[in-house]
Amino acid sequence: MRHRRLLAAMLPVPALVLAACGGTDETAAGVDESALVVYSGRQEALVQPIIDDFTEETGIEVSVRYGNTAQLAAQIIEEGDRTPADVYFAQDGGALGALAKEGMLEELPANLLDTVDPRYRAEDGTWIGTSGRARVIVYDPDQLTEDEVPDSVFELTDPRWKGKVGVAPSNASFEAFVTAIRVLEGEDVAREWLDGMAANDVQLFDNNVLILNAAEDGIIALGLINHYYWYEQVAEEGLDAVPARLKFLPDGDPGALVNVAGVGVLAATDRDDDALRFAEYLLGESAQTFFADVTKEYPLIAGIPLAEGLPPLDSLQSPDIDLSDLDTLEETLQMIEEAGLT
Amino acid sequence: MSELVVRGLEKSFDGTQVLRGLDLDVPAGSLAAVLGPSGCGKTTLLRVVAGFEIADAGTVTVGGAVVAARGIHLPPERRRVGVVPQEGALFPHLDVAGNVGFGLPRSAHRAARVGELLELVGLLGYGDRMPYELSGGQQQRVALARALAPDPALVLLDEPFNALDTGLRAAVREDVCSALRTAGATAVLVTHDQEEALSMADLVAVMAAGRIAQAAPPGELYTAPSDLGVATFVGDAVVLDAVATSAGADSPLGKLELYDSGVRGPGRVVVRPEQVVLSNAANGVVGTVTGTVFYGHDAVVRVSVSAPGGHVPVAARCQGLPPGVVIGDTVGLRVVGPVTFFPAA
Amino acid sequence: MAVPRTLVRMPGAAAGGGRRQRPPLVLVVPALVAAGVALLPLAYLVVRSLDGGLGEFVETLWRERTLRLTLRSLGLAVSVTIACLVIGITLAWLTTRAKLPGRAGWAVVVALPLAVPSYVAAYTWLAAFPTIPPFVGSVLVLTLCCYPYVLLPVAAMLLRSDPALEEVARSLGRGRMATFLSVTLRQVRPAAAVGALLVALYVLSDFGAVAILRFDVFTRVIYTSYRSSFDGTAAAALGLVLVAITSAIVWAEGRSRGRASQARIGSGAPRRLRTVALGRSGTAAGLGFAIVVAGLALAFPLGSLTYWLVQGGAAELDLAALGGAAVSTIAVSALGAVLTTVLAIPVGVLAARYRMRHVRAIEQASYAGHALPGIVVALSLVFFGVRYAYPIYQRTPLLVLAYAVLFLPAAVGAVRASVAQSPPMLEEIARSLGRSPGRVLRDVTLPLAGPGVAAGAALVFLTCMKELPATLLLRPTGLETLATELWAETEVAAYAAAAPYATLLVLLAALPTFLLGHRRRSVTLDVHGGGA
Repeated sequence: MRHRRLLAAMLPVPALVLAACGGTDETAAGVDESALVVYSGRQEALVQPIIDDFTEETGIEVSVRYGNTAQLAAQIIEEGDRTPADVYFAQDGGALGALAKEGMLEELPANLLDTVDPRYRAEDGTWIGTSGRARVIVYDPDQLTEDEVPDSVFELTDPRWKGKVGVAPSNASFEAFVTAIRVLEGEDVAREWLDGMAANDVQLFDNNVLILNAAEDGIIALGLINHYYWYEQVAEEGLDAVPARLKFLPDGDPGALVNVAGVGVLAATDRDDDALRFAEYLLGESAQTFFADVTKEYPLIAGIPLAEGLPPLDSLQSPDIDLSDLDTLEETLQMIEEAGLT
Repeated sequence: MSELVVRGLEKSFDGTQVLRGLDLDVPAGSLAAVLGPSGCGKTTLLRVVAGFEIADAGTVTVGGAVVAARGIHLPPERRRVGVVPQEGALFPHLDVAGNVGFGLPRSAHRAARVGELLELVGLLGYGDRMPYELSGGQQQRVALARALAPDPALVLLDEPFNALDTGLRAAVREDVCSALRTAGATAVLVTHDQEEALSMADLVAVMAAGRIAQAAPPGELYTAPSDLGVATFVGDAVVLDAVATSAGADSPLGKLELYDSGVRGPGRVVVRPEQVVLSNAANGVVGTVTGTVFYGHDAVVRVSVSAPGGHVPVAARCQGLPPGVVIGDTVGLRVVGPVTFFPAA
Repeated sequence: MAVPRTLVRMPGAAAGGGRRQRPPLVLVVPALVAAGVALLPLAYLVVRSLDGGLGEFVETLWRERTLRLTLRSLGLAVSVTIACLVIGITLAWLTTRAKLPGRAGWAVVVALPLAVPSYVAAYTWLAAFPTIPPFVGSVLVLTLCCYPYVLLPVAAMLLRSDPALEEVARSLGRGRMATFLSVTLRQVRPAAAVGALLVALYVLSDFGAVAILRFDVFTRVIYTSYRSSFDGTAAAALGLVLVAITSAIVWAEGRSRGRASQARIGSGAPRRLRTVALGRSGTAAGLGFAIVVAGLALAFPLGSLTYWLVQGGAAELDLAALGGAAVSTIAVSALGAVLTTVLAIPVGVLAARYRMRHVRAIEQASYAGHALPGIVVALSLVFFGVRYAYPIYQRTPLLVLAYAVLFLPAAVGAVRASVAQSPPMLEEIARSLGRSPGRVLRDVTLPLAGPGVAAGAALVFLTCMKELPATLLLRPTGLETLATELWAETEVAAYAAAAPYATLLVLLAALPTFLLGHRRRSVTLDVHGGGA
């Protein structure tokens, strides 16, 4: 009898479920229908403080959907014209470029675009970089001096480094870097380099932090990472607690690539003004300072103090490359896969 | 009370025809037994009547209402046909009262009606027991009460006593019989047990190869089977070649008295073993004892009798084992009473 | 009278044969709805793969990579399934039929790894052994997370199957091992097949573990393909291949299930289970096996999480966020479990009761979503949600619907198995007593199948709690679950910050798992009490 009542009670449930969800979830999720909707491929911890400040300053409520940069881009493309998103804040230019190609981003005004070096924004003005990160080599000073660290990633295929180099091949930054090699040096050089790395028993990691840790523990002699992982760790634990050191590569080597996080405004938005204000806010002084202080990234507007010990952006001898050209990820992935670096 | 009328019923499974144009009439208020060997299709007949299976052809009428016919298939819940399945099949999640009251509408009278039925089957006071707390016989009686509760036009019982011990079976059978009569229900009992069929039913329908071979009151069925198949299926039978004349039938057991059939010529006679009387006589018809089987209340002596073209086996039923009969003895045989004659085709 | 009484039971009676009646609409219509829902991702994949034209579609498939991925995916699925069968059946036998010290406790403990999300397990193993080879790591992690899918149904089957068969085998001169191989294994085959199917489908659709351990299979490539090309044509084409593989596996399982009916209509005599004494070395080996499996599958990830928790310190713990995430996790998962079960009931009842071609088609359709990576299912619902159900887009109902698409098979399997246990005759009797098909479902079928259906719901509930990719894409903006918070932290490699979410997720998921492990006895009692 007991079961019977229970199950009898369950039968009309589908309607109930839908009704219940429909009724409760706005309040549960705290979503305000009138809020500006931002799809953020960047982490909540790195974005939410800025958004809180933005709301406080402008009175514009913001509702943020956090996710993976690429996944959100795929979602926006799938949503098409009906996307709830007004702004897309992405971890890299490639995803923004993909949306631009679909014609889903609107052109930003020139006065905003002009605040940033043309190298760090879309040529057609559909998106703009908000912060920069440099590829660097992290090394274990117990095993080698800075001078012994190669000046170019192309030296890493030398037998001398057999089994001593760490990379994170599934990491978006590594993929962008390989794409840069393809764009700068050509497909054959890129393939040769990947094959050489594979033949040289390169050590594979899931992410940059694991490479950094491995270099600190002496498991590898050197590794390819983004600069801010090291600076964050130093800020957290002090320089003495971080045995590994960084080398910024000279002479426009692909291993010195500077990539950016960026923002675009959806063409489908009916809140152009608010969306634009948000984009402008990300390039304002407080947000840029936040990026420099908290994430140890490079601010992209002038006059913002850098993280301690970070060489100035214009002092980096990064390769001269149009970041929009880094959107041919598929070929890169295939090449990485064919080299067996998975 | 309603009568059951079945006409031309056909049903196949995967190309195998199980019912082949079956006709059956069960008068209102009577208890009919459908008797047949395993696999003859009698359970299928029951399931078609209950509405669990859809007939390929034919009609089923219950109390004048057509429940199945070409293009008509009244669902089981609208047929007012109660079913008592093998092994009871009580709802294990409901207590006895819940089972009996399952087919009753929710009303103030429900409890009273449940009590009434439990009393009818002799289980008053068992209402709050769960099925697994009952013996097999009690479960059967609850199943019957459950089937009778909504006052069905017809009750179908599918080998309901199969799972019971021999001792219990007779008692439960009688209880069920009297409960059915008290309720005045029209009932159809499906069984392969001829003793059950002959002892319980007002009407026995013998089923063979998807048809009713003969439907008749038990006595008539036994003494006047409509064909050799029925004759040999219902009761033990000694079948002998014979030639019918106006004075009787000439057979290896001598001249036999016939139920008058008016038919003359060559054919076969059916002799019941209890009609065969053994004696010490060395004249007349004699045979050699080939074996004895003792049943307690009676015994069967198998005798080989010489006949034109060889020997024929004959069984004789005796009150107790006749003293001094051993294998190899020569005994005299005599047939008492009339026998049934079937002319050669 | 001396007519020999035949012992042969009538064919076509209560047990087997001829249910040739058309299934009632009250079941067919909702089952079709469920199948339709489950087929949404497939429809989406077809639309998307043809987006780039047939040429591109064919070109994507006609690559050496496709074959390689197929082999890799199948290799992983087969390896994990075999390992799960060995571990699951052994543990099921040890915890039901053997005199293992603390058997009741072990029965619960060995089911608990079901509560550990594969991506959490993968993280802990990778953190401890950074150089673990991808294939070895994936097989290890997925086996340890999935063997309960085999263990639970097999243990239930062992508890309710007839030990008399084994005793007969022993009396006929078979040794203990030979009896186990020839009789016991044969008895548990249908249950093991269901479990193996769930494992294989899980492995094919799992993304978290293989992504973390860097083993390239379909899901990972589909994901990177979305990431790299954004247009999704290639990803959709690969998704279709995955669906084809799944269909083949589901079909094979259906064949192996064959005509063996799971319904046992006994005299209803409650049977006491007899356990087998193992001897001293046997007991040690049995205990050792249980300890090793539980240690690797449960103690190791929990230990790692505790270590990170302690390292992270309580100071950084955001209790409000943790509590909020826990509440939303439970809420959406419970809704997911309810909707999934409700959709599964008509499909499962049909599958148990009406073995017809179109019923089988409905059942197999319900498996469609299960083999697809969560991101494909999620994107398909984005596609349909935005176009045809905009009011519920990025609202809880659509997320709950995604859970239903993803986890329908587990619930259907549970419903089918538990309905099949009670004789169909009971439903026919109920019909003859005046109940309509719908009310028979409500008053007889479901109450009898209740415990099994509830177990299925519990399984879905805990799987929903662990689900990540669909939750990420379809959750209402601003809603965070334990899984999404965990993902957010691990995305920045903040293991210490992730640890509280992971720990709470495992603990919460352990509750329904505990019930699943614990409940087995009561289910058996229900079954034995019935069928009288």
